[in-house]
Amino acid sequence: MRDPFTVLGVDEAADDAEIRRRYLALVRDFPPDRAPERFREYRAAYEALSDERKRLEMMLLGTNAIALSRLCTAALLAASPGSSRASKQAVAALLSEGIMRTVTDKRPPG
Amino acid sequence: MKKPNQRGPVSSASLDTLAARAAEALKQERFKEAVELFKPMVRQDPRPEWKQSLAEAYRGRARALAAKKMFKEAAMVVENTLGPDGTLADPVFYLHCLIRDGQHQKAAAHVLRYVGTESTLPAEERAILEDLAAALLVAVPLGPDPARAPSSEQARWLEPAAASREALAAWVAGASVQEVERQLNRISLRSAFRPVRVLLKCLITMPQDADRSRQLLETIPPGSPFFAFREAVAAVLAGQALDADGWHRLTPVQQAFVAQTRNLPGTVVQFLTRSAEAARSGPSALFGFLLKQPDLPQAEVRSACLNLLPQMPDRLSQFEKRFGPLPDFERHRIQALAAEGRGDWAKAERFWRAAVAALSVNDGDDCQARLSRGVILRHLAQLAAKHPEIEGDGDGFDDPVISYLERSCQADPDYVTGVLDLIGHYRADARLKEWHRLVDEAVQRFPDNSALLLQATESAMARNAYKKAAGFARRLLKIDPINSGVRRQMIELQVAHARKQMRAGRPELAAKELAAAAEWERPDAPSAPLCIAQALVELRAGQDPQAQERLRAGVALAGSGVAGWFRAALEGELMKLTGSSAELLHQELTRARQTPPTKEAVMAIVSALGQPDASEKRAVASLLRGMRAWLLQAAVIDWLPAEFQAIAEILARFDAFDVLAEYARTARRREPGNPIWRFHEIVARTRGNPTRLTIGEMEELGRMADAAANREDFHAANRIERFLSGDGDTPSRRRRSAAAPLDTLNDDSVPELFAAMLEGMPKGATDSVRVLVREFGRDGAVAHMVEQARATPGGPGMPDPVLRELCQAMVAMVMNDSRPHQAPTARRSRP
Repeated sequence: MRDPFTVLGVDEAADDAEIRRRYLALVRDFPPDRAPERFREYRAAYEALSDERKRLEMMLLGTNAIALSRLCTAALLAASPGSSRASKQAVAALLSEGIMRTVTDKRPPG
Repeated sequence: MKKPNQRGPVSSASLDTLAARAAEALKQERFKEAVELFKPMVRQDPRPEWKQSLAEAYRGRARALAAKKMFKEAAMVVENTLGPDGTLADPVFYLHCLIRDGQHQKAAAHVLRYVGTESTLPAEERAILEDLAAALLVAVPLGPDPARAPSSEQARWLEPAAASREALAAWVAGASVQEVERQLNRISLRSAFRPVRVLLKCLITMPQDADRSRQLLETIPPGSPFFAFREAVAAVLAGQALDADGWHRLTPVQQAFVAQTRNLPGTVVQFLTRSAEAARSGPSALFGFLLKQPDLPQAEVRSACLNLLPQMPDRLSQFEKRFGPLPDFERHRIQALAAEGRGDWAKAERFWRAAVAALSVNDGDDCQARLSRGVILRHLAQLAAKHPEIEGDGDGFDDPVISYLERSCQADPDYVTGVLDLIGHYRADARLKEWHRLVDEAVQRFPDNSALLLQATESAMARNAYKKAAGFARRLLKIDPINSGVRRQMIELQVAHARKQMRAGRPELAAKELAAAAEWERPDAPSAPLCIAQALVELRAGQDPQAQERLRAGVALAGSGVAGWFRAALEGELMKLTGSSAELLHQELTRARQTPPTKEAVMAIVSALGQPDASEKRAVASLLRGMRAWLLQAAVIDWLPAEFQAIAEILARFDAFDVLAEYARTARRREPGNPIWRFHEIVARTRGNPTRLTIGEMEELGRMADAAANREDFHAANRIERFLSGDGDTPSRRRRSAAAPLDTLNDDSVPELFAAMLEGMPKGATDSVRVLVREFGRDGAVAHMVEQARATPGGPGMPDPVLRELCQAMVAMVMNDSRPHQAPTARRSRP
């Protein structure tokens, strides 16, 4: 399982209420019927952090990646959020990736 | 394979032979051979059925190549099936091969030929084809085909494809919202190109209506070729909410799109990319990368590096040089995790203990420190259960699992899961005194916890404190009214009391007990044992018609037939019924036994014999003897190993070893390769006594246990080991704690232990022993006393055989037995 703090996007100091709020928000955006895998991941992360002792367990016994993830988030936030347009190549690559993903995710028919 | 001769014409006789060979090759999926055989045949005589078979062989060959990821070759093979009308037999598969091979231009041209035509494709394949067609026609601009003008249907696809491309190009070129919308309006919302309209609409209206945009994006399903685009647009829309997790979920192509659309500086994108690469390259690379990031918040960099140290503790000094010295607790924690990573459990234990000590010194009674100590000590208990290198306090007497759990409960007494865990271990280790004490304390601390109330009920029942048990059970049912487990236990307890009254010749008191038991019964879940017991008490009181009706109802609840009447007869034996009542039960059971046995009936009997009061061995054994012929018929049933184990345990418990032998023999005949049947055969031959094993059998069982352990069948391995060691105790850990005092005992210490055990008995111990013998018989009394003796100070460390012998000696002494018995000291003549 990936680091549950990172999965839920909460700080190590977050309390029960904050973790629950964040979990419910994520589940609202990715409900089990539409994104079952993501939901499972959020559920597992929530269960791993839903109790103060479990969070301590995670911090003391796990070699979690929360700090690195926090660094990356800080870098993303530090960048001035602006809006621009992607390049023609980026759009073409995205379309190709989607086409390729459709045929590789599915078994060839027949 | 020898290639068939393709040069000259083939005679009709040879053609028939070839056709047979080709058909056989096709049938056996030797497609390459089938192609080589059908090709010359079709060339000479293009019969439709041969042409069809050749196409089938090509398809099979193409699939085989695609399975080896040879998509280019697979596509070439499929092209051989091209018909005169320009269509292929397997267009969707061909499309897959072209796309997988990266031939998008060719794929787009191919797909345009199929979409919208009068195709015979099934609906599902058609939908896939249309989705892919839209994505391909947007991704790849198709020039006009000089050979033929597009059909009206093809034009219907080409127009929105061009509109989609132009809309995308306008957006890329930075055109105004109005201009992009003008292009988008050319795309019908009902067409397969709708996703392009949705995606661009979201991008140009950002960030005004985020909710509306999210709803629109959700209309692009995960199977769509536009789904990767949808995910990227969603990440763009997330704005400040896009965190590291969201970023790393994106593919590099999506990240590039998001970075450009959100105008992220190159340095940030580079940091995000390189940190992900460094993380993939291992902790050292990431550590080195992080240390070279002076512009990032240093507190976060320190924290990230600290998390990497358990994977590379040799960098500890480098870390401290850069960020300053770590507290002792952190140093020990890192070393402990590093030792765990190496599988050095003894060292891990040492460092964890040092971490706990550091917490105690530095933080004393600080709440977080207490919880941390509890977490680490529970972790040590878990490690101790798995790794014998973890020794606990190292005195060899205490089970380290229990001692760490005890210490964790002291550090964090409010953690009910930890308390329940410790209670479970006390019970499993038969440390009855500690079990009862901890349950009493815990139920006061957590009065509304249903799991603890259940434990409290069971603890009170084990101490025969019925009123206390009933009190806990009532409290539990207030919290959890449908707790069938506690209802059943309370009914069983009172039925057991009623049996005692019946055996003492007091049916009126037994009826009172059963009336009280009925209060625990739920109307929608009547209890068979209670109904049968009530009927038998009424029979004894002479209330015949009513009693017989109730008896039959109870038998029906217990499964009818042999299962039901056996349950009734067993109850009769346990109540020591005599006269016409016993005769009635006997007759009904005999009549029921005329029906051949079934799996369900035998398992119901096994379940009945597993009830606590079935330890009335003599009565049950005599009842079982009457069932012998019927049970033998069931030996031919194809038992599952788990079912067989349950039956074997019951047969062995009641000395029905001849029946067990027949079951094992029959099972072995049916399945000679399964060693577990042979194990039971040996158990039956030795009548469950390992001292009767021959050397050959001991070696055979040893091999069996090793083989079972190797195939990770630990249940079987433990079972065989338990039998070989002559006790019911499981492997290493308990044996370790039991063996240590055995070795330290000398002949002089045994009488002392004996005296201590007598002191540990309640007042009037001799009377109690006499009552026990009257109640349970000599063997039952010894078993009961062994349980009690384990709770005395010297008890937990004593091996079972020694405890048993001591108890046998006590029974003999109290009953003034003149029978010679082996004095415990006589047996203790080991070096």
